[in-house]
Amino acid sequence: MSKSATQWNQQPKFPQSHFVDSRIYTDEQLFAEEREKIFNRCWIIACHESEVPNAYDYRTFYHPGGTPLIVVRGEDMRIRSFYNVCPHRGNTLLYDPVGNAKRITCIFHAWSFDTKGNCTDISREEQGFQKRFCKADAGLREVRAEVGFGGFVWVNTDDNACTLKEYIGESLDMLQENMSMPLEVFHYHKAVVDTNYKLWHDTNSEFYHDYMHYFNRVTGMLQPGYFDRKYTGYPNGHASVGSMEIKYDAYEGSKARGVGWPGLAPGGWILIDIFPGMTYNLRTSVLRMDTSIPLGPNKLLIEFRGLGLKSDTPEQRAERIRDHNMIWGPFGRNLHEDLLGVHGQGRAMHPGSEPTWVLHGREENMTIHDEGGMRHFYAEWSRRMGRKAYDPYGDRKASAAA
Amino acid sequence: MKPDRTAIEELVYRSCLALDAKNFKAYLDLCDSQFQYTITAHSPEIRKDMIWLEHDKAGMQLLFTNLPRHNSDHSPVTRHVTVYTVETDEAAQQATVVSALQVFRTTLDGGATELFAVGRYIDTVKTDAATPTLLKRVVKLDTRQFGFGYHIPF
Repeated sequence: MSKSATQWNQQPKFPQSHFVDSRIYTDEQLFAEEREKIFNRCWIIACHESEVPNAYDYRTFYHPGGTPLIVVRGEDMRIRSFYNVCPHRGNTLLYDPVGNAKRITCIFHAWSFDTKGNCTDISREEQGFQKRFCKADAGLREVRAEVGFGGFVWVNTDDNACTLKEYIGESLDMLQENMSMPLEVFHYHKAVVDTNYKLWHDTNSEFYHDYMHYFNRVTGMLQPGYFDRKYTGYPNGHASVGSMEIKYDAYEGSKARGVGWPGLAPGGWILIDIFPGMTYNLRTSVLRMDTSIPLGPNKLLIEFRGLGLKSDTPEQRAERIRDHNMIWGPFGRNLHEDLLGVHGQGRAMHPGSEPTWVLHGREENMTIHDEGGMRHFYAEWSRRMGRKAYDPYGDRKASAAA
Repeated sequence: MKPDRTAIEELVYRSCLALDAKNFKAYLDLCDSQFQYTITAHSPEIRKDMIWLEHDKAGMQLLFTNLPRHNSDHSPVTRHVTVYTVETDEAAQQATVVSALQVFRTTLDGGATELFAVGRYIDTVKTDAATPTLLKRVVKLDTRQFGFGYHIPF
């Protein structure tokens, strides 16, 4: 039976942890708060260490908190991160996504910096500043950076945040053996989609949407063990999904994957979501990493990386690339479907649209079609935001009753 | 027999017309039995050349068979190609053809058209018969961002 406006707005008959108010996906004020309370407080993956292999290699990164960053490997081979902002007049220091720079020199007025963030040259320093300001006053703003958990470069703009190890806790233990060898990025691309970052993370946090994927239905859902995969929630909003054996040859044109991955059973698949928008997705022969960079409440940039082992032979690497492309490449079977899904949510719940309830109500003993992974995320979201995901402005109960 | 440039150009253009019309059979009919298809792009971000799709003729046939089973964006795309150079190798009975590629996407709802992708076709054309055929196509993309993407290769 269809619903009237009143019925549409009635609170779902679920526990309040089992649905959210759609304004959390569309509201500008909430988005500004998320940048401050979540993205500028959490550890975020900026890139992979294999993207800056040599001394003085750098990589730029648009931090989801809003500040552009530089990730640079110093002469001492340590990776550091700084605001990509000149302390003089706020200009961008490095424009290219990658490069190698012993000195980072601002094109505007030629102030120079080394890879430790020290200012090494202020053009006509004494003539302009006399003794009032000098190079020692003009260092770059350093951001905490650590390399870990598969060789990823993590950054945190909060000087007082916990360590990366404390932030991750035990959530990535399931992948520890699989990431014991050096990894290397072989695939990178970006997608900008009109949707909210949480909706993308939701898609990575629930498998009920396998109904959207023909590939996953025939290679996974119809296979033994699929409904035994279990969600586990960890502190700080992270969640994992246990493995099963994917039957790749059930899809016409696909075949059992030969190259495999150290420590992973043949056909294995482990997925771990890291709050607030990163996903480790190890599927038999390829590790995929998604990093969400929200550009607005309804605009999301996603960075997609595909990784193999640094020790791969050319033949092994070629096989991983083929495996990656079949489902996750830009022309792969699944990626377009997933992106189409969240694009559709963004279309339906754009800023200014009537708030609706988004249900996370499935309970199946935390197995694969349970929506507990998303509920776990929103519990952490609510804690950090100091707002209830089902009623972010405290006005829902009143409007529902009216 | 010197290969006819006009026939070679028409082969490239016909391949676009066939794919634009989603007439996959017509597209594959233009391809040699040894046809190889690859989409590549260079990522400055990771300083690497990437392969995004790689199939032989049977693989392309299978791809076209499988795609209707998937959820896809149904907006039509239009491939606009200009053949730049045709270099023939009469001994090998082949030609290397470099073309500029632009792909436009037109929304189903309203018909707004946007530039979707730019790149090049680098084709190897077999010229040993009266009608030339595609032996190899490398789609070298400059565009690396496609929004929510597309399933049908360019």
